[in-house]
Amino acid sequence: MIYLDNAATTRICEAAMERARELFTENYYNPSAKYGGGFAVSAMIKKARGSLLAQIADPSKFELIFTSGGTEGDNQAVFCGARRGNAVTTEGEHAAVYASFTELKNRGVEPRFVPVRRDGGVDAQAIAERVDEKTSFVSVIHVNNETGAINDVAAIARAVKAKNPRVIFHADGVQAFGKIPVRLTSDIDLYTVSAHKIGGAKGTGALVKRKGLTLPPLLFGGGQEGGLRSGTENPFGIVAFSAAAEEWFSRPSEDAARIAACREALFSALDKTLFRRISPEGGSPYILSVSAVGMRGEVLQRMLWDRGVVVGTGSACSSKHRFSRVILACGYPKDVADGVLRLSFSRDSTREEALQAARACNEAASEFSERV
Amino acid sequence: MEKVVIIRYAEIHLKGKNRGYFERAFSMNLEKSLKGIRHELHRTSGRYLVEKFDEARTEEILTRVSRVFGVYSYSLGYLTESAMDAVFAAAKRVAPASGTFKVETHRGYKQYPLNSMQISAEIGGRLLSENPALSVDVHAPSATVYIDVRESNRTLVFGSFERGPGGMPVGTSGKGLLLISGGIDSPVAGHMMAKRGMNVELLHFHSYPYTNEGAREKVMTLAGILSDYTGTKTVSVVSVTRIQEEIHAKCAEELNVTLLRRFMFRIAEAIARKKGAQCLITGESLGQVASQTIEGMTSSNAVVTLPVLRPLVGFDKDEIIERAKKIGTYETSVLPYEDCCTVFLPEFPAIKPKLSYVEEEERKLDVQSLVEEAVAGKEEVSF
Repeated sequence: MIYLDNAATTRICEAAMERARELFTENYYNPSAKYGGGFAVSAMIKKARGSLLAQIADPSKFELIFTSGGTEGDNQAVFCGARRGNAVTTEGEHAAVYASFTELKNRGVEPRFVPVRRDGGVDAQAIAERVDEKTSFVSVIHVNNETGAINDVAAIARAVKAKNPRVIFHADGVQAFGKIPVRLTSDIDLYTVSAHKIGGAKGTGALVKRKGLTLPPLLFGGGQEGGLRSGTENPFGIVAFSAAAEEWFSRPSEDAARIAACREALFSALDKTLFRRISPEGGSPYILSVSAVGMRGEVLQRMLWDRGVVVGTGSACSSKHRFSRVILACGYPKDVADGVLRLSFSRDSTREEALQAARACNEAASEFSERV
Repeated sequence: MEKVVIIRYAEIHLKGKNRGYFERAFSMNLEKSLKGIRHELHRTSGRYLVEKFDEARTEEILTRVSRVFGVYSYSLGYLTESAMDAVFAAAKRVAPASGTFKVETHRGYKQYPLNSMQISAEIGGRLLSENPALSVDVHAPSATVYIDVRESNRTLVFGSFERGPGGMPVGTSGKGLLLISGGIDSPVAGHMMAKRGMNVELLHFHSYPYTNEGAREKVMTLAGILSDYTGTKTVSVVSVTRIQEEIHAKCAEELNVTLLRRFMFRIAEAIARKKGAQCLITGESLGQVASQTIEGMTSSNAVVTLPVLRPLVGFDKDEIIERAKKIGTYETSVLPYEDCCTVFLPEFPAIKPKLSYVEEEERKLDVQSLVEEAVAGKEEVSF
């Protein structure tokens, strides 16, 4: 099987699995317990926290709150950050931010959606234009999960803060962390990451927060995570996350170039009479979105599954809707949106796999157009 | 005194010499519906009693009983000895805490020393003197205490009648094969035939990869809800992908749906015969969509000899929806998964297809082998 749906989720890596197993069977104590076992688990979480944070930002300026995943991190950022006036985001956001912004209306905050470019990205200027003195919160996706377009969140955050320094700036980094270089600047207040996109377990993520920023919790209770996220910690998920990240970052940075080459090899081998490219060339090397115009991506996806090639369509989280909201926001018509396939790579993807996948895509699409 | 569920049955009393047959089927269905819950089911004259059950699961038992066809009404009450003190103890539990009430007695056991009026007066009097917040109103009471003296030492005491689904015990009116899609109508059609005692088998068509597993799961969920009423625990699943592709490639586009339905009916008939079903059941309602015109129905009927029952044929959509909500299938039916037709759906389907034209177009296809191939690929999915 060739698995090219790594932007949806990845297989857990061996190192993470090993650590998780240990925490399931041996060190299963509640990290809040005041006996040896509890302290031991608590220490493991502390170590994982430090190690993960160091990969993303300067630990002296930022702190890290473990969450149940990307959606929770995004929700906490939006609902705890956008508390008055208006809030600005893009039309290219993942549903976790987009739907939360839609809900803001019911909570007395005016949501503002900035249109995206054809590639799904957004310019700093376009965001800053919608920010005014009443803006309390801005959220911009770092890597667009459907097209792979990269937003320069550092520049956007700088432009936003120049316009209104009181704004809380959040970036959804779920598809960026581990996939492109990430280093948070002091203009960024909040940053969401998720474990299962880089070989960790589902159900674990983190919200990175600038120190000094006062943020209310989303979940109240026993006061875990410094009171910012109550609920018994998920030690196996957390330790596995850190183990997965350590393995991920221990690999050479040339990997990105190799993956980008795989992506381009795949695209070159696609039959251009059947497929057109959606992803920008300068986007995340891990994501290639194409459209089999006039066909139905979901059907192609199943034809490919039957051929042993696993790909995505739009975002898996929103695949209950027929057309991808994000692809339509990029300005594509429905027949393009309907035919979108998202091929997303892992660090282990090879050129050979990419070429095989391209062949399967060509076969499936020509079969589809013959039959339908 | 013991908590019991009292079940009265509908229509079975109309059956003369076949009554035993109907009653056996009814009690078997009741047993089936209560499977997994500790209980004893006993028949007394004209009633069934669920006894010795786990009281924590009382509501679940009532819900399950409320779905068994043939149940006219049911009550939660007490089975006690027939001595006045025992009956009074049960009546106290059933009586309201305050307000108006009356006692209504039925005395099946005619040798009991008191008659119905005397029993009502005695128990009513005792309730009144015990609880000053109560008062009697025999014309429009807000609560009624029912006493039913069944035998010398078995009396039922209860406070209300719940209306059952009525109908006939499933299995007493033959067997039919329901063509079930993921939509709103077909589960309702199956429910209605089961209500008249029909054993309803299920057949679902899919066109993978044009439809997905989500659509199939949805049908399984619907079948699961339906099985609370019908007891059927499997669905026959048949792929019509090849047939749709062939029709699309060779025949007039406007006839896509008409032709597909003829294939579905042929396949359904072949499977019905294998399963011993005596008819096909569909959720069609006259004029609801392009294929459900009288011409469309005629064109489908023309390829089968088994009768096709369409219990919803005269229903409006909102009437069907109302029933689907009552049965509990509506929420699942409206989930957004596509059923068979949409990828190949013509822009302008023929609304009044002429049979001669349909047959002419169909001659372009190898009908028999397509049907045989589809039937051969049938899967039986249990849930």
